[in-house]
Amino acid sequence: MRVLIVDDEPLARAFLAEQLGAMAGVEVIGEAANGFEAVKLAEGLAPDLLLLDVQMPRLSGLEVLELLGERAPQVVFVTAHDEFAVRAFEVHAVDYLLKPVEQARLAQAIERAAARLMAPRDRAGSAPTGIASLLAAPRSPDHPLQRVLIREAEHVHVLPVHRIDFIEAQDDYLSFAAGGRRHRKQQTLSQIESQLDRTRFVRIHRSFILNVERIVRIDPYAKDSWQVQLADGTRLPMSRTGYQRLKEVLD
Amino acid sequence: MHPILSHRRRLLVYLAAWLAFGLLLAGVIAVSGPAAFPWAAAFAAPLALLLGLMSLSCWYLVRLLPAGTTALPRMARTWLAAGVVDLAIWIALAHAWSWVLGLAQGAHSQLPAASMTPLLLFAGCIGLSVAVLGYYMLAAFQTSREAQQRALELRMAAREAEMQLLRRQIDPHFLFNSLNSVAALIGTDAAAARRMCFLLADFFRRSVKLGACQTIALADELALAGAFLAIEEVRFGARLRSRVDATAEAGAVGVPALILQPLVENAVHHGIAHLLEGGDITVAAATRDGLLDITVENACDPDRPPSRGTGTGLANVRGRLMALYGTQAVLDVDSRPGCFQVRMRLPAAPARETPCAS
Repeated sequence: MRVLIVDDEPLARAFLAEQLGAMAGVEVIGEAANGFEAVKLAEGLAPDLLLLDVQMPRLSGLEVLELLGERAPQVVFVTAHDEFAVRAFEVHAVDYLLKPVEQARLAQAIERAAARLMAPRDRAGSAPTGIASLLAAPRSPDHPLQRVLIREAEHVHVLPVHRIDFIEAQDDYLSFAAGGRRHRKQQTLSQIESQLDRTRFVRIHRSFILNVERIVRIDPYAKDSWQVQLADGTRLPMSRTGYQRLKEVLD
Repeated sequence: MHPILSHRRRLLVYLAAWLAFGLLLAGVIAVSGPAAFPWAAAFAAPLALLLGLMSLSCWYLVRLLPAGTTALPRMARTWLAAGVVDLAIWIALAHAWSWVLGLAQGAHSQLPAASMTPLLLFAGCIGLSVAVLGYYMLAAFQTSREAQQRALELRMAAREAEMQLLRRQIDPHFLFNSLNSVAALIGTDAAAARRMCFLLADFFRRSVKLGACQTIALADELALAGAFLAIEEVRFGARLRSRVDATAEAGAVGVPALILQPLVENAVHHGIAHLLEGGDITVAAATRDGLLDITVENACDPDRPPSRGTGTGLANVRGRLMALYGTQAVLDVDSRPGCFQVRMRLPAAPARETPCAS
């Protein structure tokens, strides 16, 4: 089995590599010190299994999976925190190991992963379904989305939500407008709406979500429709329901 | 303490009010005929001021007979007696004063003091009653303020106790991650693993000891921060670089136990841990103009909004400083892109030996 180790702590990586080295049939094909490296290596090396830390700088373990999407291999989470376990199993992780990781427990996780790899294709293919839920799952108002991950060719773009001016739905894509630039991502407007901070982002139209901090003025446009002007001069249409939603947030 | 006598400005306002009362009385005398206004004013104004001075002593009776807890008959009896005595003295003095004024004025237009007695009695009753009512209102206000102050102090003390209890608990993730580092080092560098064990033992011993104290020398607090940072440096490798700088005078200053530790932990967990390349943490302390000045500065991710965790840690430190020093301590947060700094200034009293719970 070809394994990729992802952890931001050099000692933690060395420890896992050492333990895996003693196991028959397991080969450590690479180590990544952060989420960006992890995405790159996972795509380049196509490992069978990711040993993935959850809390890492810039990109968390769950965000690495979101970016890998359907190309994600089997995953075993390795962390000192037990509070991510529920989400880990939502994305169909093989196992969830707590640091410090015991050799016997690690061996057990590897066995499980091997069993899944041997299993018929439809079971092995269950992971992507789980990962799709990362993009779709609504978030509680207390923990809104902090940043949006966007892949542009070989690059991963981390867009903090406070930089977003507005989001526009285009066919089955979303177009994120931020500081005059546009970023495309495959997701639906309802999905992102349910994850954003509702006191800051309002769906003003069937095709638009607006960062309310960018509003400069609102003008009546036609019967039951308005036009919103943003700080950078952009004008967006606003429907009657959008107007009511915006009023609720601003009041 | 007397609420009026002990404040110059209040005393002036109080006497001015009585002067106005005296002029009103003079007006009534002038209108009802016994004397022209200038003479009536010369007669009534000093008398009103005198009644004002006499009624200052009512404050002590108000304190002696608090409203609400004193039986009504006893209250009525006492105030009636006090009123009769006060007014009798005052009216006698009024007669004497009219005689003196009469002498100055010449015998042909005596002020008819005797005919004014009912009016004086009436005015005196009103003046005294208003003064006493005013005192009762003042007393009620003072009591409620004292109660508020006491409640606040109690709340602060409870908060401080709670905070201390919280601080004594070690973050379990810190322990798990450190143990993971030790487990890793055992395979590759046994000497380093051993060193890490000693660092951990040092940190836990210090933290348990300090957690049991109220006030400690800053040097002890800095040693704890140093031990913590040394352990995290092993874990984060080259990503974490730290420096602790303090003058000898600053080290001797007494600070609330574990006041610095949450800030140092924040600097690692909310600052350095989110940086791909890591960064520096600097803790500096010095004394200036009788104040101890401590800063904790760390590199941080400019794209990451300050998280809730930092907020509670900071709020706790702020709350403790507030409870212990009031407005004498200041905590400033300076959040620039890429750099986060917390600056704490508190009175620089030398560390005393305070009893530590075991």
